[in-house]
Amino acid sequence: MSIQNLQTFDPFADANKGADDDVQDGLVHIRIQQRNGRKTLTTVQGLSSDYDLKKIVRACKKEFACNGTVIEHPEYGEVLQLQGDQRENICQWLTKAGLAKPDQLKVHGF
Amino acid sequence: MTEEDAMFDPTLKKKKKKKKTAFDIDAALAEGSADTNEHVNNSISNNMVDDSKDEDPDDTNVDIDLDFSKKKKKKKKPFNMDELENVLPDGKDKDDSALDNITNQDDSIMDDNFDLDFSKTKKKKKKKKDLDELIAEADDKQEDKENVEDSTVSWTGSDRDYTYEELLNRVFEIMRDKNPDMVAGKKQKFVMRPPQVVKIGTKKTSFANFTEICKTLHRQPKHLLDFLLAELGTSGSVDGNSQLIIKGRFQQKQIENVLRRYIKEYVTCHTCRSPDTILQKDTRLFFLQCETCGSRCSVTSIKSGFQAVTAKRAAIRAKTS
Repeated sequence: MSIQNLQTFDPFADANKGADDDVQDGLVHIRIQQRNGRKTLTTVQGLSSDYDLKKIVRACKKEFACNGTVIEHPEYGEVLQLQGDQRENICQWLTKAGLAKPDQLKVHGF
Repeated sequence: MTEEDAMFDPTLKKKKKKKKTAFDIDAALAEGSADTNEHVNNSISNNMVDDSKDEDPDDTNVDIDLDFSKKKKKKKKPFNMDELENVLPDGKDKDDSALDNITNQDDSIMDDNFDLDFSKTKKKKKKKKDLDELIAEADDKQEDKENVEDSTVSWTGSDRDYTYEELLNRVFEIMRDKNPDMVAGKKQKFVMRPPQVVKIGTKKTSFANFTEICKTLHRQPKHLLDFLLAELGTSGSVDGNSQLIIKGRFQQKQIENVLRRYIKEYVTCHTCRSPDTILQKDTRLFFLQCETCGSRCSVTSIKSGFQAVTAKRAAIRAKTS
């Protein structure tokens, strides 16, 4: 067993981790809204404005086989809107594409 | 020898508590005849016994038992022939019984070793002793065996090094004794009634025991309402008989999920996970103050965020105009 006190500890480890060129900062809120009947709507708010949201929505539409759009909102910026319950899909896709880290995603709704 | 004894006696007197004061002279005499190795052993064992007395509440029982045995021996005294010589086994046997009491019968191997050791030491003595003493010893041994049952900790009386496992068990036992509700390892369960969710028609859902759940969580109904509506992305209100009517169709499982998230964020302490907390509003921010550990931390404000238009646009237009 090694001696705990003699291990080297890098106090700037966290600072280094945060400094890498990550475009996405802040949380990505993924919400679900009920529409009439069984229909639902998924909104993705908080994606960095450096990303081209139109290209993202185009890829998402193809990937999830749903319709979608980008909505410009005065307070929240550009918001992705997808038809149906795409919460699982969008989480996996965003992490797989490297657009956001899993801990940056916040899923709301039931 | 005498010098050693003089050095040795006071410590013994100190460690053997008031109960043994009557026997001090006897004990001194006994030690006078016993060899130095035994002194060391006895002193160590006495130390250990006394330590355990100080710390373990269980050992008080052992003490009481010891007292009884002593009383018996007191009665025996006049029947025996030579007082001086009888003192020897008396003094010894006090220690023996003390040790035997505390050694655990569970740890049978250790007990066996222990007995063996003592038989050896006694053999040395026996050379000096009379037949009467032998009989007395036999009696005492029987008594000791009766007393063995009361023990709890296996290593307290013995000379061997205690193992890490035993110490660990001891710590946890003490912890469990001292505070039965806060036990590491056994998590404190936060028991709550499940939410009663009933459909009202096709478009609305009723959350029947909403206020009851607010009370069990010690939270303002408004706060929980805000959170639920923001998370579900709908609208709703509390009606006359204190039930929450939410627009939209929701199942109990879904409401449970949201409630669980609410509890995780706004009820349980972020440091110690105790549900005994108070939510305070302080300069526009909500702070969670823990009553158990005293920590205080801010919690995220409830935001509904972006809400897409789900109603018919024509209807909205008709409303506004």
